[in-house]
Amino acid sequence: MSSNPSHRSRQILACLQNVRFSHDDGASWVLDGIDLTIHQGERIGIIGPNGAGKSTLARIIAGLSAPDDGTVTLLGHEVFVNGTPSPHQYREARRDIGIVFQNPADQIITTVTQDDTAFGPENLGMSPASITVTVDEALKSVDMRPSAQSDPTRLSGGQQQRVAIAGTLAMRPRLIVLDEPTAMLDAPSRSNVMKVLNRLQSSGITIVHVTHHTQELRRCDRLLSLEHGHLREITRTDLDTRDMDALTFIRHDHIEKTNHPATATREAFTDAMPHDGLLHHERTHEGCHPIDDAAMVQVSHVSRRYADNDRDTIHDFSMSVSRGETVAIMGSNGSGKTTLTRLLAALDKPDEGNICIDGIDLIDLDKRNRRLLRRTVGLVMQQPENQLFAPTVLEDVSYGPRNLGYGSEEAERLAHRALKLFGIDRLAERSPFSLSGGQQRLAAIAGVVASNPPVLIMDEPAAGLDHKAALRINELITILADRGTTVILVTHSLEQARTLGCRIIRMPDTADRTATTDTDAAASDDKTARHSPDSVCNQTGARNAITKRNGRKTHGLRHGGIAVGFGATWNGRRSFVRSLDPRIKLVMFIALLFTGFTVATPWQLVAAALMTLALTAASRINPLRLLSSLKLWLGMFAALGLINMFFIHSGRVLFAFGSLQITEGGIYDAVLYSSRLALVVILGDILLITTTPTQLTDAFGALLSPLSRFGLHAQEIALVMSLALRFLPTLADETHAIIDAQAARGGSIETGTPTARLRALGAVIVPVFTGALRHSDNLALALDARCFEAGIRRTHWHEMKATGRDWRFVGACAVYMILLALLSNGFKLIWA
Amino acid sequence: MSVFSHTSDTEIQTDREHDSEASAHNGSRRDKTQSSHSTGVGDSGRWSTQRIAIYALFVALAMAVSFLGIPIIPNFNWLKFDPSGIVCLIAGFAFSPAAAAIVAILSFLPHVFNDPWGTLIAIIVLLALCMPSSVIYKRHPTRVRAAIGIIVGSVCALIMAIALNLLITPIYTGWPVERVVSIIVPALLPFNLIKFTVDGVATFLIYKPISNYLNR
Repeated sequence: MSSNPSHRSRQILACLQNVRFSHDDGASWVLDGIDLTIHQGERIGIIGPNGAGKSTLARIIAGLSAPDDGTVTLLGHEVFVNGTPSPHQYREARRDIGIVFQNPADQIITTVTQDDTAFGPENLGMSPASITVTVDEALKSVDMRPSAQSDPTRLSGGQQQRVAIAGTLAMRPRLIVLDEPTAMLDAPSRSNVMKVLNRLQSSGITIVHVTHHTQELRRCDRLLSLEHGHLREITRTDLDTRDMDALTFIRHDHIEKTNHPATATREAFTDAMPHDGLLHHERTHEGCHPIDDAAMVQVSHVSRRYADNDRDTIHDFSMSVSRGETVAIMGSNGSGKTTLTRLLAALDKPDEGNICIDGIDLIDLDKRNRRLLRRTVGLVMQQPENQLFAPTVLEDVSYGPRNLGYGSEEAERLAHRALKLFGIDRLAERSPFSLSGGQQRLAAIAGVVASNPPVLIMDEPAAGLDHKAALRINELITILADRGTTVILVTHSLEQARTLGCRIIRMPDTADRTATTDTDAAASDDKTARHSPDSVCNQTGARNAITKRNGRKTHGLRHGGIAVGFGATWNGRRSFVRSLDPRIKLVMFIALLFTGFTVATPWQLVAAALMTLALTAASRINPLRLLSSLKLWLGMFAALGLINMFFIHSGRVLFAFGSLQITEGGIYDAVLYSSRLALVVILGDILLITTTPTQLTDAFGALLSPLSRFGLHAQEIALVMSLALRFLPTLADETHAIIDAQAARGGSIETGTPTARLRALGAVIVPVFTGALRHSDNLALALDARCFEAGIRRTHWHEMKATGRDWRFVGACAVYMILLALLSNGFKLIWA
Repeated sequence: MSVFSHTSDTEIQTDREHDSEASAHNGSRRDKTQSSHSTGVGDSGRWSTQRIAIYALFVALAMAVSFLGIPIIPNFNWLKFDPSGIVCLIAGFAFSPAAAAIVAILSFLPHVFNDPWGTLIAIIVLLALCMPSSVIYKRHPTRVRAAIGIIVGSVCALIMAIALNLLITPIYTGWPVERVVSIIVPALLPFNLIKFTVDGVATFLIYKPISNYLNR
């Protein structure tokens, strides 16, 4: 492809010649003869519909994927010549190319922002001193410096995406490829990311930006359109007319890849979906207007506050939706939109206020009414395709009707109808996992619509879809509304709300939530804000991020039991214990834990208690905080102690009641055994509070490393561990979201016949696994993008060095263990 | 065992079933590390990034559920059920015995700081559950073999669980071994039977759709 004359003098960074790529061994070509030359300093925009091969092209340009045919030269390295890849050349080229992907969260490697940014430089073998410089610069250039110490998994999507860009910038690339970096972001976050891109452009970095948002390409030097495997240079005027084209033709066209004759006329649907016995409402009127004045959904003075939050996510909120009306719920991030959908679907209860849907009181639901509500309210959660689980699309879609009491034949008939309505009936027998993203979204929505709920709640159903597919969703909403369904649509897109011509309900921001339009403001969580002075001003943004997190996702594991130990309880306060070399700390604490179990005499118990107290003091932890985090465990110990009291009958009887007797021996054992367990648990907690997960896994890796001499992949195992800890809360949140989504379709593990329960279990577990595998696909790419390779020589930004202080600690532990031995029964015998 | 191997990455291969329902699906398996579009960078003889990512997510999954801890036998609330066994069994079936071992060991390590001996038991029992089943299944992957594998693994794990409890319960409670023996029938046996039945049945039901996903 010939380039602008002004570029001719500039260096060529990437050159693709006649590149072809096929996913199915040549049966069809996603890329079919691509020629592209990218010059130093250019900003190139690539657009194209979903599934056009944009991501594939992005990966080829970034050197992460090799084509089937053609020649690729990246930064002067001939990485792929006439069908043959050269691993060595690829490796060299990759060091100077960065790539940022669509899903912000899946690119985060670890649980401290600055450590995450340092991951790439470490893989490049940079020295700790230069890593410090490059990390700081990178975070500064994306405005994320105040969040350097915070947990990136708790940031908003926009902030995460900027952290991902920083992780790339820290490797000082000459070319950055961005693959739909804003697709999963809301408007304010999107504009923040765009600001960062503009800044990079002015600093001279070459940018390839893949997107389907045409308005993001205004500042590009060149625009390319990828369609049907071919790349075409286009002008800005083309861009504008494209928008118009899409708008004009969408009504008669189908979602991408569904090359099915348009059956989707409204008349056909009203035919295909006759009124059901279950639906006792008249549905005769057309349009988005209320059919009658009686409210279908009535929300009055509802408030909801999540545990750990210091303000209501929803505060004194009221709304009324008429039967057959379509309303759009809008509002900034953190204003409680998703929480509202959960309340309306009775997945959560308000703290105050009333909700009434079609005469059902949601505050006081008995079993019968809950069932009735499940039939009345259909909930399409965000990214509903993540719930797909069954072997075939038909089975998946009929899952809802089946749970709601239809026989399996009737359920399949309903499923067929819904699939027909969505124009994907020919996919009925396919595995849902074999569909394209857009088709999966439609199938998942069909799974909710199949049981004909009179009220349909949709949480951003068009998010992440391209323009055409989004319009298709709008069309479906219109059709459902025409059939008389009451539709409550949560959306960020004013355009979508206007297209549907529906009433807009704005979720109010609570009075002091001032930074509403910029929830993306730098800052992360309260903890960081408190500890680093330069981020105090951004606390509001921080709180919003948390509110959003809690609102969107239920919080199970994060707040229960020991899971808190990882990531959440760690505090940044400097102390003797905190500054110890993690390797030495880990080994000594484990030794202390195991010796804790040898405590068998009162004096030993005293010694152990003193040691624990000393360590608590040396960690500068508030002892009360330790106790409160141990509530769960202490409860268990108390129970154990109680059992001991009743079953151990040695020593003088203090109290007898029938066969039960409490003896001195029983009390003695109960106190001894539960106290020593409590001490062990407290010791473990001190370690977790004073050590970051990164330090723990680094120490773990360092301790394993001698084993690599025997062929054990120590470095890789340590990385697996650290990535697992990083994804632990993500998976826990997702599991809860899936349980809720299936519950809204009537799937319940707690009730029903054994077969129904097993099916319900499968409907939860399968999506949890496929979700994990989806993350792993993205994560593998993210690791590649950051130049991680098994067995490479990496540097460590935080070098571990044992100092005098560490050896003093080892000495103290040794003295303590000798003391324990001296105080033991066995020693007393020998001494006597 | 591939944890210790320096050979290439062929071990990450997804479940290729020989029974009829599998052949309905197209036969192409997704060897994620050696796709036709590999740049060759990941083939340097150690773990590919795909393998690391998959292990990491499975470990995270097992870790997440390992914290669930639901007591099922009244009065013996330290005997807690968690579905981590399902994740290990699936890892063994979908990938390799080595994958199952890594998931079993790493996913319980975070517990070591709060419950050192309990962690040790949990890991050994998980290994007893998923290693034999995975080895049996991998040699000849059919539904029948999957069932046999699960049953053999469950029996091994059951024996291991009870034997280790005899050793470790006294450390926590101070009970003599005879008393622990006396709770085998009322507590240890039913608890472990329920646990491995749930693990086994759930695994048997879901490993197929999951391998569909992997082979998509």
